[in-house]
Amino acid sequence: MNPSLKLALVILIALEVSFTQVWTVNVALIIISLILMFVGHVKWKRLLWLTVVPLFFASALVWSLALQGTTTHHFLIVIFTRMFVYVYMGGLFTQTTNPLTLTRSLEQNAKLPSKFAYGFLAAFNLMPKIQAEVATIKAAALMRGQVLHVWSPQLYFKVILAAMNWSDQLAAAMTSHGFVEGAPRTHAVTVALRARDWWLCGISLILVQVGLFIGLP
Amino acid sequence: MKAWHIRDIILVTILAIFMGVIFWVINPVYTLLAAALAPFGLQPLANEILLGVWVMAGPLAGFIIRIPGAATLGEFLGAVVEMFLGGIWGASTLISGAVQGLGAEIGFAAMRYKKYNWVTLVLTALTTTIVTFAWDLVRSGYSAYHFGFLILLFAVRFCSVFLFGGVLTKLITNLLARAHVLPNVK
Repeated sequence: MNPSLKLALVILIALEVSFTQVWTVNVALIIISLILMFVGHVKWKRLLWLTVVPLFFASALVWSLALQGTTTHHFLIVIFTRMFVYVYMGGLFTQTTNPLTLTRSLEQNAKLPSKFAYGFLAAFNLMPKIQAEVATIKAAALMRGQVLHVWSPQLYFKVILAAMNWSDQLAAAMTSHGFVEGAPRTHAVTVALRARDWWLCGISLILVQVGLFIGLP
Repeated sequence: MKAWHIRDIILVTILAIFMGVIFWVINPVYTLLAAALAPFGLQPLANEILLGVWVMAGPLAGFIIRIPGAATLGEFLGAVVEMFLGGIWGASTLISGAVQGLGAEIGFAAMRYKKYNWVTLVLTALTTTIVTFAWDLVRSGYSAYHFGFLILLFAVRFCSVFLFGGVLTKLITNLLARAHVLPNVK
């Protein structure tokens, strides 16, 4: 399925599920996501992780709601299953979508301005360098006997200076390679947006509406 | 009013990634805290205590880049980073990120993107708290809690957002201002 449409579908369903209280639809969504993840060959370890962690948080939330609030069993079941809907649908999306294809699709299909698409890509490709930089800053401070914590302004200060430096350099590099903001572009790789994708997206949404509003528990 | 250019876009993305990487470290803290509080039915408190850390990218990006939409974009991209780094909450992370960013954005918009001082940060902390709390009322079923417990959750959340999104952001931007790297700061 087209990545942009898939993203829109996942977010729309997550939003709808947040505002409605129909646990049967939640369970249906969980089962469908699980099946699709099996079909998509998601690793067992990842699936296990995606089950154990929300199991803990959903149980803790339900337990807390039961202790500290006034609720019905129905509401608790809705909240419990809702957490799994979020996790499985999110897992389905991230495990079956390549960030690069998603960005290309957002640019070509969803008409995201190319400066955003390429700006994001440029920065995301720095990810390993960024992780290394945080480690370097911490190590450099340690050598001078300073321990930098999550709440130390110094840590952020150095990080932000590095970020400013790199964004200047990257922007200059892109300009010198001929990148012009707002100029028309051709695409080496095109992401297809087929009629099938629209149908799949539309039918899924209609099914969810039907499920939510025909009075299921 | 300033428009978005490629440099700002890269800067806001790198900032979001940096925040994502730094916050990655506190995820185990969150899990431990939640586990410690869970038996007493207080698990949401873990979320409230640490929320300020997660929403920090919004005020920080808004304060540094000073273009309408910077806070929202910074926080939202932080959520994207978290999602692809292997955060488990998926689509709901993206929605939360957008909600948190918008919360901070309202604070900056109320000052018409002109004043960047204490008042802005306090206002931002307040709007962030209110908007994210409204979202949790719906999403996490907070509306079912007793009123007293809700007040406690709200107060803890505001303190957390104020400490990290307000005080810490101010300390960081003070350092940046002294280094003369912020736009139009006297």
